[in-house]
Amino acid sequence: MSETTELRDAVTDVLRGPCTPAALEEAERDGWAPAVWSALHDGGFATVAVPESAGGSGGSVAQACAVLEACGAAAAPVPVAETGLLAGRLLAAAGLSVPDGPVTTVAAPGLSFDGEVLSGAVSGVPWAVSASLAVVVDGSAVVVSPGSGVVTPGRNLAGEPRDHVDLTGVRPTAAAPVSPDAVEELRRRGALSRAALIAGAARAVLDLTVRYTGEREQFGRPVSKFPAVAAHLVQIAEQTELATMAARSAAAGAGEEGEPAALDVAAAFSVAADAAGLIATAAHQATGAMGMTREFGLGVLTRRLWSWRDEWGGGAAWATELGHLVAAGGADAFWPTVSRGLVTAQT
Amino acid sequence: MIFSPTPLSAAEDALRHEVRAWLAKTLPTDFRPGLGLGGRHDPEFSRALAAQGWVGMSIPEEYGGASATTVERFVVVEELLAAGAPITAHWIAERQTAPALLRFGTEEQRRWFLPRIAAGECYFSLGMSEPDAGSDLASVRTTAVRDGDGWRVSGTKVWTTNAHLNHFFVVLCRTSTADDRHAGLSQLIVDLSSPGVTVSPIPLIDGELHVNEVVLDGVYVPDERVLGEIGEGWTQVTAELAHERSGPDRYCSVIGLLRAYLDEHGVPDDGSAAAFGRIAARLWSIRQLSLAVARSLDEGEAPATEAALVKDVGTIFEQQTVETIREIAALEVDPEGSMFGRLLAECIMNAPSWTLRGGTTEVLRGIAAKALTRGAAR
Repeated sequence: MSETTELRDAVTDVLRGPCTPAALEEAERDGWAPAVWSALHDGGFATVAVPESAGGSGGSVAQACAVLEACGAAAAPVPVAETGLLAGRLLAAAGLSVPDGPVTTVAAPGLSFDGEVLSGAVSGVPWAVSASLAVVVDGSAVVVSPGSGVVTPGRNLAGEPRDHVDLTGVRPTAAAPVSPDAVEELRRRGALSRAALIAGAARAVLDLTVRYTGEREQFGRPVSKFPAVAAHLVQIAEQTELATMAARSAAAGAGEEGEPAALDVAAAFSVAADAAGLIATAAHQATGAMGMTREFGLGVLTRRLWSWRDEWGGGAAWATELGHLVAAGGADAFWPTVSRGLVTAQT
Repeated sequence: MIFSPTPLSAAEDALRHEVRAWLAKTLPTDFRPGLGLGGRHDPEFSRALAAQGWVGMSIPEEYGGASATTVERFVVVEELLAAGAPITAHWIAERQTAPALLRFGTEEQRRWFLPRIAAGECYFSLGMSEPDAGSDLASVRTTAVRDGDGWRVSGTKVWTTNAHLNHFFVVLCRTSTADDRHAGLSQLIVDLSSPGVTVSPIPLIDGELHVNEVVLDGVYVPDERVLGEIGEGWTQVTAELAHERSGPDRYCSVIGLLRAYLDEHGVPDDGSAAAFGRIAARLWSIRQLSLAVARSLDEGEAPATEAALVKDVGTIFEQQTVETIREIAALEVDPEGSMFGRLLAECIMNAPSWTLRGGTTEVLRGIAAKALTRGAAR
């Protein structure tokens, strides 16, 4: 675990310089944050969990999620999850090398591919203007250059680009067949990436809210001294620990080289998605009107929590999947299934 | 915070499966699971469990235990609670009293009590709460006065679970009239069969009679039965509470209900699957928090704040689970109906106690908030 801790700390350090409030405002205006991207890209942090043979930095899913926790805490407005853990691993599995620069992806899009050109459109593509796009179409992983096709810019609540792209007539720069599991595995990694980002942002919300309520005085004392306000802080701390434990456990379950398990990802995302809403509500209540202002810095985090919890299927869909999964074996299998945690090989 | 994913070793995982298999063989097929700590008081089961080496596991071998780690005990206890096994007879003795004896007891006390506890034969109750001392434990009034080579104890203890069945209880009482209300407290081990002890039941809202009032009227306690130091009772009690807050008993009360629900209803549609899935997700996550606390205890940490957080999260989870299951089952609760109906009725009537016992939600959040804001000021 210490390796992941060090990685998380390293990324936190790297982001401290470029990921300023001004840079976040500019990123919302321009749709791109070149200094933030450079810092992460130059350190090799954007391609953790992508094998070195495919041009990545190597490492496990848990290490990639450690990077994402730090990115979530800093509200880093760049496609780190998409470049490495999601698209990077997808391309590596198809035997393709990962383009140098930001890469993005989406879940099973409604596209078709005749071996020459693509047809159809995809929506909700993160940073489509700036990033190469890697998707699975008709059993093949295909890559197109940044800004290919007709891009109609869109955004999520946090002002992060989520674009509509019509790829009809676009010729991929690379294509290779990929295993039938690739789409499902990508979907799981997508959900896990959001759980890790939520866990990171949650921790930052906790720190910010504890600090503010400790400084802000009303009725002659810090508002955190009032039990009703303190209860909000405890609620944020509890949900942060739950989301963090969930995301890290699902990531650790993938081992050194493997993929996260369906049950683990479903549980982690369900917990993180619910935590996101509870944390945002409690933090805004505790920080009052100040927390609602653009300058305070809570909004860049809560707007991300409100966005990420709905991506890659959203909390309810994963909870539904989990419900069917744990009920499938009947009553006797329920506890053994839910309690099957991590087990190390050695005694 | 010390929470990080904690794998079980292969040996710990094998222990889990061993306990699971033994329970499947030992508990009858029509067994009605207890609600975690609400399991039945069954000395025969306690002795059988002890014969497996699974009572008082963390007691050192020289005192009759297994010198097991906190995590090994966690693994066993979690399986017992998840199955709703009848563990109440030995529960307090092994969870609360044995560690206190190891920490504060005399060599003579250890040699006498610990082997009996580990054999599943010596049962304890708690003697902390009083009519005017609940969450504010330091306001206890039960008093012990010096009498020869011992003490005479008088006062009233309440909420004393199974005092009518157990052998001893550790009484928190006042041994001096110090100005500092924490300073004059001590812990005495009182034999519940002593002259001057009167146990009377306090009926609870579901009609059950396992909780008692215990009146002590000049009960004699020899010096050999003083636990720890005279005047150190407060320190000893707070150490006890902090370590015992985050165990599997904080999220396992509803496992029997969940199993019975699946058995009788299943998840016929996406709506019930989503509700059941959210419960499973929380359970999956909370038990890993609890396990992480157990592991950190083995590593020499004293995670009191984390323990308070886990207890709060766990007990709130249990209460929400009962409500959610009731909603998706969508029927009128029948306390004399099927297994599910009976367990749901028992859960509904006991759920309020889950956020009271072992520290109320409000007290726990106070502890956690203090730690959070102290961290910020650092």
